[in-house]
Amino acid sequence: MSDFVLDSNDTDKHASALVAPLNINKSPKRSRSREQRLSRRSSSRAQSQSQISPPLTPRSSRERIERAVPSLPVFHNYLRAFYHFHPSSTVSSSTDESSITVPISQGDVILVHSVHPNGWADGTLLASGARGWLPTNYCEAYDHPSIRTLLNALTNLWDLVRDGENGHLLVFTKQDYVRGMIGGVRFFLDKTQCLTRDSDLIVAHVGLRRMRKGLLGDLSSLVKTAKRLQDVLQSNEEPVPVFDHLDELILKGFKLVTRAVRFLDIWAQDAVSLSFDLGDASNNRPLTPPSDTADSAVQPASLPNHINTDVAQATEDASPVSQTNTTPAHDEQDTTLSQPARNLARLSVAFSIPSDSETLQSPLFPPGFQSQTKRLSHRLSYTGKSQGVRKENLASERLNIAHDSFLGFIGSFIGLHLQSRSSAELTLTTQQAVVACRQFLAVLEEIWERDSRRSEQLQQARTVMHARLTDLVHATKNMFSDPEADTGEEVVTPDSGKQLVNAATSCVRSAGDCVMKARQVIERIGDFEFEHEQNELSQSIFDHIGQPAEQHSQELDHLAPSEKVEEAEKPLPAPPSEERSMPPPLLISESKPLPEVPQESPIPENRMSLQPASSAVIDSPTVSSFRSSRISLPPLQQVPTPSPAQPNSSDFSPSPASVTQRFFAKSDSVNASVADSNSSYRYSMRGDTGSVISVASTRATTPDHSPAKKRSSQTLVSSFGSSSELRSMTSEDVSAAEEHLLETTHAHELVHNKEGQITGGSLPALIEQLTTHESTPDMVFVSTFFLTFRLFTTPVEFAQCLINRFDYIGDSPSIGLPVRLRVYNIFKGWLESHWVAESDSAALGVIFSFATGKLRSAIPHAGKRLAELTSKITEIRAGSLVPRMASSLSKTSVFTTADSNVPTPIVRRSQLNLLKACNEGRGQCTILDFDAQELARQLTIIVSKLFCSIQPEELLAQEWQKKSGSKAVNVRAMTALSNDLANLVSDSILHLEEPKKRSEMIKQWVKIGMFCLELHNYDSLMAIVCSLNSSMVQRLKKTWELVTRNTKIRFEELKNITEVGRNYTVLRQRLQTVMDSCVPFVGFYLTDLTFIDEGNSTTRLLHGESGADNASVINFDKYMKSARIIDQIQSFQKPYRLAAVPEMQEWMESQIDRMRKSDQANVQSYYRRSLLLEPRETPQVVRAAPPAIIEDSNRSVLTAESRNFSKEKFEFLNFHFSGNPAK
Amino acid sequence: MSQREYHIVVLGSGGVGKSCLTAQFVQNVWIESYDPTIEDSYRKAIEVDGRHVILEILDTAGTEQFTAMRELYMKTGQGFLLVFSITSMNSLYELNELREQIRQIKEASKGTRPLFTVLTYTDPTLQDDVPMVLVGNKSDLEDDRAVSRARAFKTSQDWGGVPYYEASARRRANVDEVFVDLCRQIIMKDRREHKRPHRQPTKPRHRPRCTIL
Repeated sequence: MSDFVLDSNDTDKHASALVAPLNINKSPKRSRSREQRLSRRSSSRAQSQSQISPPLTPRSSRERIERAVPSLPVFHNYLRAFYHFHPSSTVSSSTDESSITVPISQGDVILVHSVHPNGWADGTLLASGARGWLPTNYCEAYDHPSIRTLLNALTNLWDLVRDGENGHLLVFTKQDYVRGMIGGVRFFLDKTQCLTRDSDLIVAHVGLRRMRKGLLGDLSSLVKTAKRLQDVLQSNEEPVPVFDHLDELILKGFKLVTRAVRFLDIWAQDAVSLSFDLGDASNNRPLTPPSDTADSAVQPASLPNHINTDVAQATEDASPVSQTNTTPAHDEQDTTLSQPARNLARLSVAFSIPSDSETLQSPLFPPGFQSQTKRLSHRLSYTGKSQGVRKENLASERLNIAHDSFLGFIGSFIGLHLQSRSSAELTLTTQQAVVACRQFLAVLEEIWERDSRRSEQLQQARTVMHARLTDLVHATKNMFSDPEADTGEEVVTPDSGKQLVNAATSCVRSAGDCVMKARQVIERIGDFEFEHEQNELSQSIFDHIGQPAEQHSQELDHLAPSEKVEEAEKPLPAPPSEERSMPPPLLISESKPLPEVPQESPIPENRMSLQPASSAVIDSPTVSSFRSSRISLPPLQQVPTPSPAQPNSSDFSPSPASVTQRFFAKSDSVNASVADSNSSYRYSMRGDTGSVISVASTRATTPDHSPAKKRSSQTLVSSFGSSSELRSMTSEDVSAAEEHLLETTHAHELVHNKEGQITGGSLPALIEQLTTHESTPDMVFVSTFFLTFRLFTTPVEFAQCLINRFDYIGDSPSIGLPVRLRVYNIFKGWLESHWVAESDSAALGVIFSFATGKLRSAIPHAGKRLAELTSKITEIRAGSLVPRMASSLSKTSVFTTADSNVPTPIVRRSQLNLLKACNEGRGQCTILDFDAQELARQLTIIVSKLFCSIQPEELLAQEWQKKSGSKAVNVRAMTALSNDLANLVSDSILHLEEPKKRSEMIKQWVKIGMFCLELHNYDSLMAIVCSLNSSMVQRLKKTWELVTRNTKIRFEELKNITEVGRNYTVLRQRLQTVMDSCVPFVGFYLTDLTFIDEGNSTTRLLHGESGADNASVINFDKYMKSARIIDQIQSFQKPYRLAAVPEMQEWMESQIDRMRKSDQANVQSYYRRSLLLEPRETPQVVRAAPPAIIEDSNRSVLTAESRNFSKEKFEFLNFHFSGNPAK
Repeated sequence: MSQREYHIVVLGSGGVGKSCLTAQFVQNVWIESYDPTIEDSYRKAIEVDGRHVILEILDTAGTEQFTAMRELYMKTGQGFLLVFSITSMNSLYELNELREQIRQIKEASKGTRPLFTVLTYTDPTLQDDVPMVLVGNKSDLEDDRAVSRARAFKTSQDWGGVPYYEASARRRANVDEVFVDLCRQIIMKDRREHKRPHRQPTKPRHRPRCTIL
């Protein structure tokens, strides 16, 4: 041990390339999305883990370590054991809590919570509900397309229950969550073609029939449990029974899935080979499920697809191998298992993978690496609920903490500079900032190295960050070097101060970038843990400031990932089965089967060797310290594996409080939990506080405390595989209600994001969401659906799908009826407020026949009402009166001075007369004749009217971009108005001959712009600034010389607000604070909508990355995003409380109209005018040719073609202007 | 030496797939969900010839009809990506007008040089002022091609030897290339303009050294 410590000190502290050896990586392609979906919470688990003792540490030689390195460390939620592992059979069987590792048997399926880099995983056995550490090299990732949905549902359930443990019980008051399981089972049965009782397979195969019955029985009791839990919650009883229910719920879920796995095993063997061996199921040796092990993604480089199939074929031909019963080491659970869960073919194939990945991976992971970090791989948690109990060692947390502290320091760093402080404080702050930054970078490295794909983006971001930091340091150094040389006042010069602040700012920016990239990586590979580094460097770092760079470059270089990897040594523990030779899979399956007799296999031997070791350590006082300081382990072939399990658990099980204390003291302590009872499961699951723990453990150790539960866990364990048990289960639970239980649902066809929102789904699944029976449908969801459904389906299809929903749900009073009413309500809502006659009338016939047919016979009054509505819609269409949504009705109301809160127009009688004269063509007036504020008001009224009439449909699918037949009349009118206004500004300035007058006009427009800003009329503001800022106005030097300083300052203000850079940041921020009426600049919304439309595909894959079995569903997220922006626009569609001055409006509109009609809506003509007014200063040009002529000569160079075209284009524009209803 | 930030403006008529091109470039790998509303939606750090630069891309997609806005967009740009679709001749024609406007604005903002001299457009010396790249997008739709390569190339030559690329945003072909080419032009121009004044001898920036660390 001591030499090990030395070792680690010698190696680079940053060096770390440890990866959890869960490298089996069956199908990396789909785990990512599953991660996203399912890793919603894991925080409380992290907490509880810290209170449980660490795992047995497998030890091994380095070569073994390499082998275990994964090609892609993708986190697998489920593993399946393919060896027995019974580390301490005596202990674990007697006292539940005392064993830390959990014994696993071949075929066991395990839900994985985290994976330690040494290869041990914290997992829960589905068969028993026991949680503890288990060696991942005894397992392979478990996944099969047909059961995947169910597994996902179980993970969801687990997360929900864990949240429930923390008091978030709201979700359990509805039964929505069970539907995931139901959908999973349904999908599973459907995939295996065993959905109905009469399916050929079920009829022909006794084993499957029984399993199916059992499965449905499990499902039924799960649903019942959920119902009970719901009842309990609604009756407001005290929370204790709730936990029991939660336990029961999750255990039922486990049981259900376990049975499904068995089912699949039998099915894979018998159903696929079509050899219906009705005899005894116990002799059945399951075939490798079709696309499970045969997944080519496992060994993309070296193993062609067909080999796996060959293997499967080979084993099928081989004689059955007896396994479990001959194993003395097995507990009774195994012997009672008659189900054929052990598939040697599968095992051998799976086992070949490590050796395969060795060849693949060894170049990536250099040997001999020792790390001071300790990591666990977790499912990444996004839930905000249990942040308090989050484990701080989780990479995601570390990242946040490091980033926060870095920002904190850099903030004070910038602050100091702004105050022009000098050296002492500055030194300290810089030091702190740099140290913080280093830590931040260290965290990034951990993440980067952990990811075998070596995210290029992250590396890039980090390199940038590093460069920034270097800049910062140089900047600081520059500041210090001068004063030092002069030994004079340490004054910060404004210049270098600015430089410094700039450097710091860009540092912050790239740090943000780093965090974003890092999170993406974590999301992909799973969250993990590592230890805080002892950063003694922090002090010394800064001491060197000012010294030659070369001295420190070395240190710096350590930050570079490539070098780090080279230096890295990596102590991965060997798989326990290290002595085993690993022939290629084909050989194994054919000639030398895997350890049929477990005691002959090295595994039990290994286990045996573990035993004495652990007992040797029992009394050793160094155990705990060893554990706490254990960072990575020495090669262990000679060293007996210390098994902290026993001493620990025997230590602390009587006094949980002390345990808690001890483990809280060690932030890096890893947990393990125990055994084969659900009480231990509880023990590991709960425990935010010491008191909770003691409650749990008391309950666990006292049988009569919760007898019911105990019993249930016993049945659970023993019932599997026992056919008599099965029969009793099925006869009891499965009945005619079976069909009812398997309520048709498409819940498995939904995709959720991290926040639990629906981001995709098939049409039936989405419609199911519209018509849930347990709860009121989400309003945002419903309105988004109504707004956008025409983009991903047709009205007829929508109607048909609703009717299908009506059909398949049946007429049961508990589920069928409410759903049918909701279906009716959706139809009603559609007809009443979301009807778009043009496209939707095609569905009228379908709806009408539904209303008068099925609906009327089921719910008479609803049918009648819907039929009425349908005929009304038909009539209205005849009268061309489409009912609009109620919300848009109030938008056109006009305010007058009579209303309160409406400001009196600033207009004198003489002005009114002037306007009247003008409007009658009897006089002339200009913008200068009127009050700027009133002009801004009237302009705003005009624009606002147009803006408020924009319909949501105009904004979908880039409707406004359509070259012909665009329905987005109002959007286009807005655009045209904006252009016209800009032209009006240019025109009004450029038509004035005298510079003085022009400058006055500029001043007036700036004023109008200021008032527009005040009124939140950003659209007009944008147009005005645009025009004033255009080159033809800007180049008028003489004019601008006459513009007052005040006006120029104001203009600068306006320019800053309308800055287009950084994605309109300023403008967007301003809009967020606007509460009143507002006319936003529609342009950037249009850009947003365009990018959403083009940047997101219309479909997405159901299970993340692509795969053969992967269905693609509607990418509802895209429509949600569009709807969100449209909703934002709509929220501004409120009329202004302003009084119109009709005369002024008339005049302004005529001016705008003049712009529109004049052929001068062409920048070139204005530019020419500008050149005429204030010719170029270069004398030769002026002499050589007047600007206009120059322009012409220019034009002539253009090809005739293009000239024709541009003419066409303007005609085209005019055409649209004339089609504009805004006039 | 701090990192350079360059502003690129993407122009072209509606429907040529500008936004797709930009989105592809900015997000690098396909992200399931693309959100264009955040501040950094259009920023990207890249390395060009060993230099780290940040590109801020202004893509006017969706606002093509705001003709009055064009100049505002153009003013912010140091380099321009002029995008047309190889399936539409019109989309190429429309670029002529846009290019004219760019040149005009850029010349006007300088103010010191004569805007239009007797030089013709084909004179390559005029081109070097405004970094530009001509992009024929939708190269995956070869069957619907309406603009021949030769025709597009001629346009690029007429413009003074502007680089011409055919790209496919959908297949991610030549996406990075067009931006890098443009960026390289900007850097070259930058160098020319800051030739002597205050250029410190810079060490190769591949491995930055830092005294503090």
